[in-house]
Amino acid sequence: MSGGALTEAGERRDAIVELRGISRNFGGVHALRGVSLNLRRGEILGLLGENGAGKSTLVKILTGVLQPNEGTILIDGEACVLHSPQVAREVAGITATFQEPMVFPDLDVAENIFAGRCPTRHGVVDWPLLYRRAQEVLGVMGVKLDTRTPVNELGVADRQLVEIAKALSIGARVLILDEPTAVLSSREIDILFALVKSLRDSGVALIFISHKLDEIKDLTDRVVILRDGQRVAERVTADAEVGELINLMIGREASDQFPPRATSAGREVMRVEGLTRRGYFHDVSFTLHQGEILGVAGLVGAGRTELAQALFGVDPIDAGEVWLDSTRFIPRSPRHAIRCGLAYLPENRILDGLVPTMRVPLNATMAVWSQLTGVLGYFRTRQMQRRTAELVKRVELQAGRIDQLVGTLSGGNQQKVVLAKWLAAEPRVLILDEPTHGIDIGTKPEILRIVAELARTGVGVMFISSELEEVLAMSTRLLVMREGRVVAQFDSPADRDRVMQAASGAAVPVSA
Amino acid sequence: MRPLVSRLSGRLSRWEFGLVGLLAVVVVVGQANAGTLLTTYNLQTIALNGSVLACLALAVAPVIIAGDIDISIASILALCGVFMARIWVGGINIWLSAVAAIALGAMCGLINGFFVVVLDLPALAVTLGTMGAFTGVAFLILGGTAVTGFPNGLVELGSGSVPGTQVPISSAVVLGVLVALTYLVHFTSFGRSLFAVGGGRRAALFSGVAVTRTRLLAFMLAGVLSALAAVLYLGNYQTAEATVANDQLLPAITAVILGGVSAYGGTGTIPGVAIAIVLLAMLQNALGLSGLSGQAQTIAVGALLIIAIGGGTLIRGVRARGGPRAEGRGRLFIRSLLPPGKR
Amino acid sequence: MITAEATTVTSPRRWSRMVRQNEFGLLMLLVFVTIVAALTLPGFRTSSNISEIFTDSSLVIVVAVGEAVVIMARQIDLSVGAILGLSAYLVGSAVGHIGFAGPVVGVLLALLLGAALGLFNGLLIVGVRMPAIIATLATLSIFSGLQDVVTHGSQLYAYQLPAWLAHMENSNLLGIGVFIWIAAACVLVVSALVRFTRWGRDVYALGSNPEAAQYLGISATRRTYQAFAVCGALAGLGGLMYASRYGNVDATAGSGFELTVIAAAVIGGVSLFGGSGSPLGAALGAILLFELESALALLKISIFAQQTLEGAAIVIAVAVYSLLSKRLRRPAASRHRMGLRPAAPTEGGGGSHSHAESTSLVSE
Repeated sequence: MSGGALTEAGERRDAIVELRGISRNFGGVHALRGVSLNLRRGEILGLLGENGAGKSTLVKILTGVLQPNEGTILIDGEACVLHSPQVAREVAGITATFQEPMVFPDLDVAENIFAGRCPTRHGVVDWPLLYRRAQEVLGVMGVKLDTRTPVNELGVADRQLVEIAKALSIGARVLILDEPTAVLSSREIDILFALVKSLRDSGVALIFISHKLDEIKDLTDRVVILRDGQRVAERVTADAEVGELINLMIGREASDQFPPRATSAGREVMRVEGLTRRGYFHDVSFTLHQGEILGVAGLVGAGRTELAQALFGVDPIDAGEVWLDSTRFIPRSPRHAIRCGLAYLPENRILDGLVPTMRVPLNATMAVWSQLTGVLGYFRTRQMQRRTAELVKRVELQAGRIDQLVGTLSGGNQQKVVLAKWLAAEPRVLILDEPTHGIDIGTKPEILRIVAELARTGVGVMFISSELEEVLAMSTRLLVMREGRVVAQFDSPADRDRVMQAASGAAVPVSA
Repeated sequence: MRPLVSRLSGRLSRWEFGLVGLLAVVVVVGQANAGTLLTTYNLQTIALNGSVLACLALAVAPVIIAGDIDISIASILALCGVFMARIWVGGINIWLSAVAAIALGAMCGLINGFFVVVLDLPALAVTLGTMGAFTGVAFLILGGTAVTGFPNGLVELGSGSVPGTQVPISSAVVLGVLVALTYLVHFTSFGRSLFAVGGGRRAALFSGVAVTRTRLLAFMLAGVLSALAAVLYLGNYQTAEATVANDQLLPAITAVILGGVSAYGGTGTIPGVAIAIVLLAMLQNALGLSGLSGQAQTIAVGALLIIAIGGGTLIRGVRARGGPRAEGRGRLFIRSLLPPGKR
Repeated sequence: MITAEATTVTSPRRWSRMVRQNEFGLLMLLVFVTIVAALTLPGFRTSSNISEIFTDSSLVIVVAVGEAVVIMARQIDLSVGAILGLSAYLVGSAVGHIGFAGPVVGVLLALLLGAALGLFNGLLIVGVRMPAIIATLATLSIFSGLQDVVTHGSQLYAYQLPAWLAHMENSNLLGIGVFIWIAAACVLVVSALVRFTRWGRDVYALGSNPEAAQYLGISATRRTYQAFAVCGALAGLGGLMYASRYGNVDATAGSGFELTVIAAAVIGGVSLFGGSGSPLGAALGAILLFELESALALLKISIFAQQTLEGAAIVIAVAVYSLLSKRLRRPAASRHRMGLRPAAPTEGGGGSHSHAESTSLVSE
């Protein structure tokens, strides 16, 4: 029995929500298998697990978006079926906030908090009451926000606070926070954590989902670890070691997952000096060499994606210079960047990486369509098929999947298609933005292996990732960004704690 | 040649076959009803009068595939027709005038493209505005008057037949446009770009597809084909005035959607649109023969659109519930936007 | 109890927020145009001209206000012209035949007929799941075809209308034309609905972020039906006014009217992406449109040039609003997403503007 756990009887007595044997599958894929869990009043439960472990599915079941195939949900000891988010909210008092706040940009703060439930008097919206109540909720949270501000004028952090206010105003007894800190600065995170703790103290039960183990340690009382859809362990946070937690999450020695680190570094492929985009990143300088994997660590929101997209020609650059193989490079557009030998694997696969209405071959060759174009613009389909077959082999995509619309592929397979696209383009610099985000555990090592191989062939790889273990294991050298600036560079396998420190706040001198 | 044909027909799906089926029904019922549906003369009439509709539908189809929309095509037609007539009256050779008109059409398309693509404004609003503006300029050029009396060459093009056959020359022209457009949309990289931009504009951008250029060219192509429609119109009806063909906009867009092009872009076929054009033209003619007036025929057109889209949704719904789930893990993203069979 | 201060926008007070509203700028523009025109064009400031502008625009205002609601819900209704025409004929002849039918009955009939037709639109969009553009394109065809069928090739003549209807356009109440009263009433009622009822706020929410609205239990189905019913009802009322104004109603009544109505809404700042704008804005847009027309006519600019300029006005208006909204929208300090949004009624698809998509709802 894990140390520090209460007796079963004690647990059940206080439980607001209890899950017993919850299973859920999607056409043969088991997202959750026999998961049992209970949540008590006045506690913060951390939910840990790799991408694909089932956390997201569990949240959907708790919030009534999905129904379990097996198992029961008990609210205050009584079996319940949560048909819809509304039922979960109103009957069970369960709400959730997500990484990207679901707000109504054109409406103001107060309306967002009470969306669909504005107070009315004789059928007419009682505006003064609305604003007053909104102010009250914000006051309870200790947050100062002008309730008349249209939400599209707010930054993400404030939008998140609005989301939480919304949950509180509904009288949530259970609040699920799904990766809330991904888009927040450290100061905003402090505010959020203070708020969350005070909510706990007032009796709300909270589930906190995050990849960042230091936050989990900081905030939670208890931790439940999911792996491959099953609940594998539970620990009292204070008694648990980060290393132990990681092992439980991953299920094997961390190093198993990762390919051997790329070590050789040839000549310089890209040099960036003083790159700035006002409001997003400032004075970024670094070099990238052939055959190396330059990790870019940092919390999401540090400006890494913005940096990548600026290099790729998507967004404008206000100041600074970029050099590719000693030639000055001014990115004008993605098309231009590709022609100059850059490639970018975007964070948002579905929206930015693939055209869902097309099948694998067209997606996989999209960056090199010009090479497949003949006389009078004729598109050489047979050549495309041939190249696709080669690419598919290189990324280890099952041949049977080729004829599918990429919108119907799994996350891992989709990512393989995107990788194939960039393999085809034969870039000299490949920028990967969270390449293993949302990919099931089985496929991740394959993707990482392909990346390492790519580096071996002489491509300079920028590896942006928020998963510390991953970026540490993969990188030849490591950059750490925070709030738009490069705060640390490490030239050799780096100490995890120092990287964490740099990413989250304590200044570390740029080292060798 | 053969691999091309087989490849194309492989890509045609149940939707197109359904349309052909509907066409067969209309022909059979129409013939049984009126008896004169399939006479040479009647078919010629259908072909002659349908060439404008065909050109307009073919003009706007690539724009919709690319994810935009253009409701100014009928106005471009009017403007180019009026322009052509005006400079011909001023002494320019009729064929040169035609070429100039087509160039003007391209420019109108470019104007649309500039506002929608370069300035990033909503296409519906922009083309609503340019629709008024182009018609207005057409009026400015000609006032409320009309120009008639065009030279035989043009009349022959618009209403004459290919020597030795009963096939109208304008139909041959339309057929040529159809073949060329099918090639352009389905066999070239430009065509692939249209579908990519319509199916995922940002992803296409990030993959190096020339998004801006593709969208601009689509608008320009729409302008060119609308102008071509004007030339054919003048040849057939031999009148140029600023109000011509403004009732053809809705049927043209209807034909495109009926032809299986998704309103959201990214999917559809040109042959499908062609079949839909024939279907609509046949249907309107058959209804006319059985006594229904022109305006009343639009009831059938509207109903057909509803049945076609609604039927498609229904079939998709049944299939989605009953069919095997793909992989489960991935996001079945735009499934619901695909016409049936394009799975 | 903690007292943490969020990083907030120190938002300006109510006055400056009001100033930044689109409608305020539009009103200022309208006032400006009116003053300039009145000062420079003697024909403009005659009371007959002013009254003509208001009477003309009343008809458009009534229908534009309804269309605005639909557009705010991120939909569109292309069939309003046909609904207007159908109502003009049917209700016009109905009240002509039924001797005792007074204005109240007439108005009610018009509203009900319009609402019924609007609900049919809703059925196609919600039930058959057609995109609004296509659905209302189809109903436009059907309704205008019906116009032809019901008129049997003839038309409704002015003398067939009951006296109250025939003279409605010319009658005055307290010195102000009845049409203007009706338009003002519509603007007021719909504005009140939109601003003060939960129904109205739900419509905005639906247009602003349909996914979030659904998640929060705002019934997209019900609200969509209601939005189209309102739009149709007002188009029906417009039909009645049309009959009064033009006397003779034939099968082509209302043809092309939908474009004028949408133009008024667009110029009035109702965004085609949904979630913003107001019925008042649409009304102001309509008035501006007619003032421009009047001014152009007085400037002896040919009627043909007018059409050109109006078309240009739409494009300019859209460009200006787009620019303004891009300036005002703060880039979320960290990431911001742009996504495909199939729900936009405007473009064929592949949307370009941002409404953050809840990517965490992807199943992992």
